[in-house]
Amino acid sequence: MKIAVCVKRVPDSEARIKIGADGKGIDESGIKFILNPYDEYAVEQALKLKEAAGDGEVVVVSLGTAAVQETIRAALAMGVDRGILLETDAQPLDPLGAAQALAAELRDGGFDLILCGKVAIDDYAHATGTMVAELLGIPSVSAITHLQLADGQGTAEREIEGGVEVVEFTLPAVLTAEKGLNEPRYPALKGIMMAKKKPLDVKPVELDPGGIEVLDLVLPPARQEGRIVGEGADAVPALVEALQSEAKVL
Amino acid sequence: MAARVIIPAETQPALPVEQLIRSEPPQDETIEMDAVFVGGGPAGLAGAIELSLLVRRDNEAGDGIGDVEIGVLEKAATLGEHSLSGALVNPRAFRALFPDLDDSDFPFRSPVAKDSVYILSQRRAHRIPVPPTMHNKGNFVASICEIVRWLGEQAEALGVNVFAGFPAASLLAQGNRVIGVRTEPTGLGRDGEPQANYMPAADIVAKVTALAEGTRGSLAQAYYQWQNIGSVDPQTFALGVKELWETKTPLDRVVHTMGWPLPRDAFGGSWMYPMEANLLSFGLVVGLDYHDATLDVHELLQRLKLHPLFRRFLEGGELVEWGAKTIPEGGYHALPERRHGDGIVILGDAAGFVDVPSLKGIHYAMQSGILAAQAIYRALKAGDTSASQLAEYDRLVNESYIVGDLHRTRNIRPAFKSGFYIGGLKAGLMSLTGGRFPGRRIPMDADAAAPKRVGSSTPFSADGKLTISKLDAVFKSGNATRDDIPTHLIAKHGIDRETADMYAHLCPAGVYEWADGELRINAPNCVDCKATDVLGPRWTPREGGSGPTYQKM
Repeated sequence: MKIAVCVKRVPDSEARIKIGADGKGIDESGIKFILNPYDEYAVEQALKLKEAAGDGEVVVVSLGTAAVQETIRAALAMGVDRGILLETDAQPLDPLGAAQALAAELRDGGFDLILCGKVAIDDYAHATGTMVAELLGIPSVSAITHLQLADGQGTAEREIEGGVEVVEFTLPAVLTAEKGLNEPRYPALKGIMMAKKKPLDVKPVELDPGGIEVLDLVLPPARQEGRIVGEGADAVPALVEALQSEAKVL
Repeated sequence: MAARVIIPAETQPALPVEQLIRSEPPQDETIEMDAVFVGGGPAGLAGAIELSLLVRRDNEAGDGIGDVEIGVLEKAATLGEHSLSGALVNPRAFRALFPDLDDSDFPFRSPVAKDSVYILSQRRAHRIPVPPTMHNKGNFVASICEIVRWLGEQAEALGVNVFAGFPAASLLAQGNRVIGVRTEPTGLGRDGEPQANYMPAADIVAKVTALAEGTRGSLAQAYYQWQNIGSVDPQTFALGVKELWETKTPLDRVVHTMGWPLPRDAFGGSWMYPMEANLLSFGLVVGLDYHDATLDVHELLQRLKLHPLFRRFLEGGELVEWGAKTIPEGGYHALPERRHGDGIVILGDAAGFVDVPSLKGIHYAMQSGILAAQAIYRALKAGDTSASQLAEYDRLVNESYIVGDLHRTRNIRPAFKSGFYIGGLKAGLMSLTGGRFPGRRIPMDADAAAPKRVGSSTPFSADGKLTISKLDAVFKSGNATRDDIPTHLIAKHGIDRETADMYAHLCPAGVYEWADGELRINAPNCVDCKATDVLGPRWTPREGGSGPTYQKM
């Protein structure tokens, strides 16, 4: 079984984000970057499938600047066999451009399965994985929390409002991973040592400029401070009043 | 109860040496290295870099020993996240390690433009002449997190295996010889049971293990105890609490203060350094031989911010990061009588290479790494990493400026044992006489032996803007340790209320509290400062990546 996993380098969810001087991107200085957590579920699932099958290959593909090599190494340390970096001058903004570049790389790769995270925690577009499927003309199931494969067929579960949706599909397919699919492993010492020696192909790509232009990037407004209206039962009328007239939630 | 005193040593558990030094054979599957550095700080990384450079130089000259596997273990998830310092850096060791680079290539923020030293009272700041040991001309303001990340990049580019997120849990021993380390497992539940993502401990077998754990290193302590390695005086420590502030008012100099808000019988002082036009490093250090059981360094730092000298810079600014760490302050007389043994060398803060009067440690740590690498390389080349070969390391350190500098200031910190003003006078005379005054050693006790008066303290309430509570502080340290991790702090049973209160004041991260008639330990809050390891509950290694995630400290 040959599996590709598309991964992205994103700022750590704990990072304190500042807007850059141009007002159109973030100031990357002093920011820690990580492997997108949803892509980690995708990597873990690929490794589990390969282990269950007893053979096969797991390849990670990523897109971006040379700094992304570090992110690919993190996946290699988890156990992925090799990495491909589609190198660009800057991190692409348009999911379509990214999806086109990924699809072009994956098209003739002979992959049985392509896994992605359901969303990257930087731009929250939820777009790239399903776009890759569309461009390749193969089935796609998004935000899966459970997966079973047998004989070129797959069954995936998606958590939907108030229930679980079960989707059957044929391989090859693109699946995007939701939290709960698995518990990603920590890289082991041996894995980190071996990761340094695993192949990582760097291929420069030209991205379609795409249809998205960032005009302005702003931080969300600071949340208003809470207020203690009083203590005990005596405070209830004041609380109800505040909820009705100020917060307007009652 | 009138005037009770606490002797912290009486309620301190013994160091769990049997857990920290394992004499059983390594596990079946091991990782083999030539040299493993425990701790990815300035000492360990400088050592790994110098060792790879020496290997490369001789291999290229055709006189080498071939490939050498060098590993660096670091307990933080990413290099630098557990590193905290002022920091004013003497660039000397950088120049020695990278002779082809220029000062502007190093990860410094800016050269020190001017020094100012003040003695504070609650409302005033009295500027005094800069003591001779505290001139910082030629030094640089820097973030040790940035230094460490930069050194890590250099090391990785040279082929060093940097294992971040892997704390060394124990030394592996065979007779008196150290043969490597065992890492701490990951993914254990509250009661130590493996969870879904459990990763067992790994054994690294190495010809040389270099302990560069930093301040109050557990393995170094265990090794000294196991091998009965003494020192003239016991090692003593101070606790530093640091904050990073984005401000609107630029500062044009480095500032140090003494006096208020410290009680007169405590030793310490504060600093404020400009990292960039609108970024200030600010903190307070207090010796752990203080005498008042309610002394609380975090709280004193909060009070200090209300002083006009600091307030005018900080007010209206934003607190970006918070952190805490102990500093080995014992100096020359507290140096372990040997810092090497069969298969082992001990570097940096773990060996006590800090000069308190000049407030410097980073270049000594790096230089000790460089000298260790030279000794290790010679030993590897000779095919003999026994104590007699590695004694070369101690010889190099003793002849270097590390021990030279510490010898010159050997009695300054002990002089302050008798209080701030007499101490200041004695220290002045010592500096003038190049360390010869008073012609004898002033003996020091271990911090835990210094009695602490039980008393009442004035409660301090933080405003949440200029001053912050310990809980907010832990949040600002970036600590996101999971709640269900097994506890790594060992306290004695039946701790009484007054002792529990002393721990609560001592710990800057709000780990300890008196609740429901007993000592409660909120271990995930711990930021690995090691303060209570000096005076109370013991710190032991825990899952990699736990604790703070400092970015620019």
